[in-house]
Amino acid sequence: MGRWGYFGYFKPSRPRAVKGGIRAQSKGGKFGESWWAKRWISVLESFNIGARLGRGRSYARSGQVLSIETDKGRVRAKVQGSRPKPYEVAIQVMALSSTDWQKVVRELSKQAIFTAKLLAGEMPQDIEKVFKDARLSVFPEKLKDLKTECSCPDWSNPCKHIAAVYYLLGEEFDRDPFLIFKLRGMSRDELLGLLGQGDRKSLPKGRKSKVALLPEEDEISPPGEPLTADIPAFWGGLKLPESLFGEVRIPPVSAALPKRLGNFPFWRGETKFLEAMEAIYPPAAAHGLDLFLGAFSPGSMQKEILSEKPENTFLKKRKGGISPL
Amino acid sequence: MIVFHAGMIEGQMILWGETPVGPHLVPARPPRRKQNKKGKIIPAEVFPYDAGREGLQTALLEAGVGFPFKGKSFAEMIAWLPTTNNTPVPSSPLIADPPQSDGKTTFSPWAITGFPLSSEQALEFLCASMGKQTLAPGIIVGKDLEFWTLAARLAGSLVAKQQFLPGLAKDHETYAACWKPVFSGDDRQRLTELARAMPEVSRALLPLEKNAALPQEGPSFPSSLSAVTLFVEKMADCLIRKSAALFDSKRIYADPASYSSLHDQWIEALRLPHGAMAGDGAELERLASQIRDWQRPIMASAVTPFRLCFRLEEPGDNGKTTETSENGPDSWYVRYLLQDIHDPSLLLPAAEAWQGQESLKAAKKKKTVSPLLRDGFQPQEYLLLSLGQASGICPRIEGSLKTSAPPGYELDAIGAHDFLTEKAQVLEQAGFGVMLPAWWTRKGTKLRLTVRANVKSPKMKGGSGLSLEEIVQVDWDVALGDTKLTLAELRELARLKAPLVKFRGQWVQMNAEEIQEALEFWKKNAQDKAPVRQILQMALGAAHTPGPIAFEGVTATGWIGDFLKELEGKTPFQELPVPAEFQGTLRPYQIRGYSWIGFLRKWGLGACLADDIGLGKTIQTLALIQRDWQKEAKGPVLLLCPMSVVGNWQKEASRFTPDLPVMVHHGLDRAKGDEFQKKAVRQAMVISSYALLHRDFETFQQVSWSGVVLDEAQNIKNPETKQAKAARAISAEYRLALTGTPVENNVGDLWSIMEFLNPGFLGTQTEFKKKFFVPIQTGSDPEAIGRLKRLTQPFLLRRLKTDRAIITDLPEKMEMKVFCTLTKEQASLYEAVVKEALRSLDKSEGIQRKGVILATLSKLKQVCNHPAQFLRDNSPIPDRSGKLARLTEMAEEIIAVGDRALVFSQFAEMGEILKRHLQETFGKEVLFLHGAIPKAKRDRMIEHFQTEGDGPSVFVLSLKAGGTGLNLTRASHVFHFDRWWNPAVENQATDRVFRIGQTKNVQVHKFVCAGTLEEKIDEMIERKKEIAAKVIGTGEGWLTELSTAELKDLFALRKEAIGE
Repeated sequence: MGRWGYFGYFKPSRPRAVKGGIRAQSKGGKFGESWWAKRWISVLESFNIGARLGRGRSYARSGQVLSIETDKGRVRAKVQGSRPKPYEVAIQVMALSSTDWQKVVRELSKQAIFTAKLLAGEMPQDIEKVFKDARLSVFPEKLKDLKTECSCPDWSNPCKHIAAVYYLLGEEFDRDPFLIFKLRGMSRDELLGLLGQGDRKSLPKGRKSKVALLPEEDEISPPGEPLTADIPAFWGGLKLPESLFGEVRIPPVSAALPKRLGNFPFWRGETKFLEAMEAIYPPAAAHGLDLFLGAFSPGSMQKEILSEKPENTFLKKRKGGISPL
Repeated sequence: MIVFHAGMIEGQMILWGETPVGPHLVPARPPRRKQNKKGKIIPAEVFPYDAGREGLQTALLEAGVGFPFKGKSFAEMIAWLPTTNNTPVPSSPLIADPPQSDGKTTFSPWAITGFPLSSEQALEFLCASMGKQTLAPGIIVGKDLEFWTLAARLAGSLVAKQQFLPGLAKDHETYAACWKPVFSGDDRQRLTELARAMPEVSRALLPLEKNAALPQEGPSFPSSLSAVTLFVEKMADCLIRKSAALFDSKRIYADPASYSSLHDQWIEALRLPHGAMAGDGAELERLASQIRDWQRPIMASAVTPFRLCFRLEEPGDNGKTTETSENGPDSWYVRYLLQDIHDPSLLLPAAEAWQGQESLKAAKKKKTVSPLLRDGFQPQEYLLLSLGQASGICPRIEGSLKTSAPPGYELDAIGAHDFLTEKAQVLEQAGFGVMLPAWWTRKGTKLRLTVRANVKSPKMKGGSGLSLEEIVQVDWDVALGDTKLTLAELRELARLKAPLVKFRGQWVQMNAEEIQEALEFWKKNAQDKAPVRQILQMALGAAHTPGPIAFEGVTATGWIGDFLKELEGKTPFQELPVPAEFQGTLRPYQIRGYSWIGFLRKWGLGACLADDIGLGKTIQTLALIQRDWQKEAKGPVLLLCPMSVVGNWQKEASRFTPDLPVMVHHGLDRAKGDEFQKKAVRQAMVISSYALLHRDFETFQQVSWSGVVLDEAQNIKNPETKQAKAARAISAEYRLALTGTPVENNVGDLWSIMEFLNPGFLGTQTEFKKKFFVPIQTGSDPEAIGRLKRLTQPFLLRRLKTDRAIITDLPEKMEMKVFCTLTKEQASLYEAVVKEALRSLDKSEGIQRKGVILATLSKLKQVCNHPAQFLRDNSPIPDRSGKLARLTEMAEEIIAVGDRALVFSQFAEMGEILKRHLQETFGKEVLFLHGAIPKAKRDRMIEHFQTEGDGPSVFVLSLKAGGTGLNLTRASHVFHFDRWWNPAVENQATDRVFRIGQTKNVQVHKFVCAGTLEEKIDEMIERKKEIAAKVIGTGEGWLTELSTAELKDLFALRKEAIGE
């Protein structure tokens, strides 16, 4: 700011409005809920860049960051500033050497908790200790662990553009704890492969371990099946058990599945993702129950509300009842 | 008639239909041959039973489904169907008999007319078809259509459980936002279960062009699993989209450029009807992979062949696995197991998975193949992922993961209690399997703290009767199981502070709060007052009981105790003597039934007598009315029934209770207003029909009825109908419902009947829906059905013919006459025939006269049977014959309880009408044997009818063809729809079912149109039974010997003959 302040007529730079940039999903306050996201942010905040932090945060909130691509050891991003052409931001994180990784992996595979938590999308609490014992650190700690660049004219590094990208990465850490390892030079699949062999060193070296639990969608092409049934089964099928459906009820907590998965990576929508989901799930569930009970009619999608004050009319006095037969 | 079928082509539902081809009909289009590019000829002849465009359209309209039709609505397609002798095998004998087999059945292509449905239309149509066998008379729900209604329910259940995620589907190069159901745990089992049971016809359809370009090896059809999966996905997507729809239609066509980001477009497309996404292909692909990454943790666990399962083991429980050394003597244990999705009984300890892929493979070489090595399953990684997810729910799981290969974890009583009460539920909800000890129920340990109400009956006041309105004192007790606890004992328990205590060898949940509540409850409510009516409701578990502790029941002494015990059937109630004036003998079970109604009537409670057809509901009711009338005639009984049985009631009343004044209220000249009131109060019973109940409601209301009896009470099962509302609004001292259909099996129908009997007892309809209907239908409360049974059982008496106690009471053969009425149309035809006959009789003599008499007899019988039989004009069948209406009602009850029946008629034309009508009404095959059927086919029919299981329920026979030489012992009902005025011939026919091998009691129903010659001849035969055999001989010739005056009297139609 100071730099431009010299020219009396020049207003403080205001970034161009952007449509469809990546928007921070956190409501006010902090970026990143998890402790590991906070650790990442705290590294940035330790650089003492003053007001740029605040501006970086508001850039991240207003969607100035157009794209973020992460790769092993590096992050590239485009940020819309005040000039027409977006600035290019690069953040490079010091990767660990392969021997360092081997040390870490050996420790991690001693307790199932590390892999289990990572797979479940969480950074294990004690992981920093494991790194520390190996005289390493998970998160970049010092300036030299991190190389940042930006094509903006600001002389300060990190600038607000870098800060904005950094904050958004913090949010992504929330969702994907493997990202930090990726930035440290180890992809998710490589790490899981190494952890899988762990102290059971039976996996041949060099072979790429297959970790995908989920087949790619394109891979699923259902094989055909010839018609084989006998005539009664061809027309009538086979008998089904009486209680096929088990218990069906609308869960007390709505949109539990998307909530369990967490926010969408690098969300750019104007509406917050989970809020949009929470608006859709409950009415859909009510209609699902209607369909299940056979009471669904697409024409009138009105849901009968099952609430009424109980009234015990059986207890009302009535005539009769005393007739001695 | 049409049988609706539904098939699937690439996730789109295709509706098509089969109709029988009459002998005069030939396939509408000439056979067609299709040629493919290679020149190979694929024969695709027109399916001879194809319903065609018009057939489908008419049937849909008749079924009340208002889909818009356009020329393009229909499409010709190919169905590959089982074919033998170059003829397709139809789905059911309703369509045609299967072709003569040439020994081998192949699948061949047949051209059909399909009606493709949009997902929304499919949902609508499937909902309309749910649980139904016919959509309207003659419009039958095929088994494959029925199958898809179940698949639609599965889709509904997944959406209700919120088991779905937003996604992006790629079809070739286009992308569409979509909702995807998540099949996890049991839902995946349900899906495979469904797929296994799918009728293959559902996936045997091909679009025309695909069939034209068939590969050499023949067509390839989607597997049943993929067809069902795709369908459930489509339905769920449509449903969610529809309920989240954007009503701002302007935006539907919004330009993709108007969205500020692809994410905005996606969120919006998820709520648009089509979901199509526009934009740069590479960018969309990136979004697709982002979505996949995001979904991974949930989708991954949804496709594995195993799931993680937690088993809680009690201290000292040696378990089923070998390594139980972790269990200390006092410690509980939660064991990690992998459970096979498809075979839930296969449980593998976690240790097996911890061995790692390589060790498992190594073991494989030693020929001990682990079931975990399957479909590329990564047991170790899966276990880690699942435990990682579960550790967020349960910190103790996290604790266990501090080692490299935990088999489970140990916990103390407090931990076990926490697991039982909280963690187990959360884990289950998250899709994990949970196995708990058998003594644990959803509500806690089976043994638990309860409160019990003690009621002491006040002394009877001299003379005056007992009443439900009496206010009595209630003392409350706190108990543990059967053991009553004193205040001191309760305080002692409170000091223990352990959540799970072993009490006399059984685990008991001891919640400190609960004990506190019990103590407080005791102080506050120890003494209470309530009317007996409320005590009764509490005893049956219907009333809201005070306090938060489980309510155990009511202990009552004195007359209230006796009353409750009798009501719940714990002690037999007093049998009432049959009034001497009653002209008939009640069988022992009928005395019990009659006394039971009397017992409830005494207390002003409504009763539903639901005995099997033929067990004598009518005479039990008449006995009660007779007794009432003699004791204290407070007013007449209003008996309401379908028009078709009004005559029967009147006849039975005159037979069994001849000294009771009975009035039939029907017809155009029926009394109204004051006139009715004056007449009615002098009667013991007024018989009228449901149709008039609503129309003459105000007239009925003017009378102070002693009772209202509803015969065929299933007529008020729908509480919204006018007749149900009117029935509930008629006031009377007691209410009785009679029905032969098992009403207790249909939860939805029960409320209306109970509301008529005992208003308010089951709560309002809305409360009932919430408390019973939805929990029972959705399976969310397994105890709801038991609670409902307990509540309704005291007011419902249903005896089956097959009950041991009944069988011994019943004769092997019971004959009864069923008196029917004529419709107005029948009556006017009848009178026209009589008029014509009398004119001819005057002019003829000798042989000619005999001819006229025999022809007239035959014509009158035909009119009594059905106008369409008499007129031979192929006119519509329903609602034109009193006999047919009655037969249909009785057949419905018989089919509902799984019995089988023979129906005899002496006319082949009538047999044809009966077969067609019953088939179209029930959507089930009805057999018809007549003289023209060759022996081989006759034998097949008999075999078909005699087989166990899902065979035809009704067998129509012409008296001549079916009268001799057949063995049809599977039937337990015989109907003589019209009469051969010769008992010997009828008995011979009846004996078809009454042969060696018959293990059931047989009921013979002889149909007679009251007030017509049928009844008069019947009376003549009854009068001269002893000489009948001689006089009557073997034919009906004796009737020709009657004088003209006698004939006039014989033919004359009595007024009572006509129904409405």
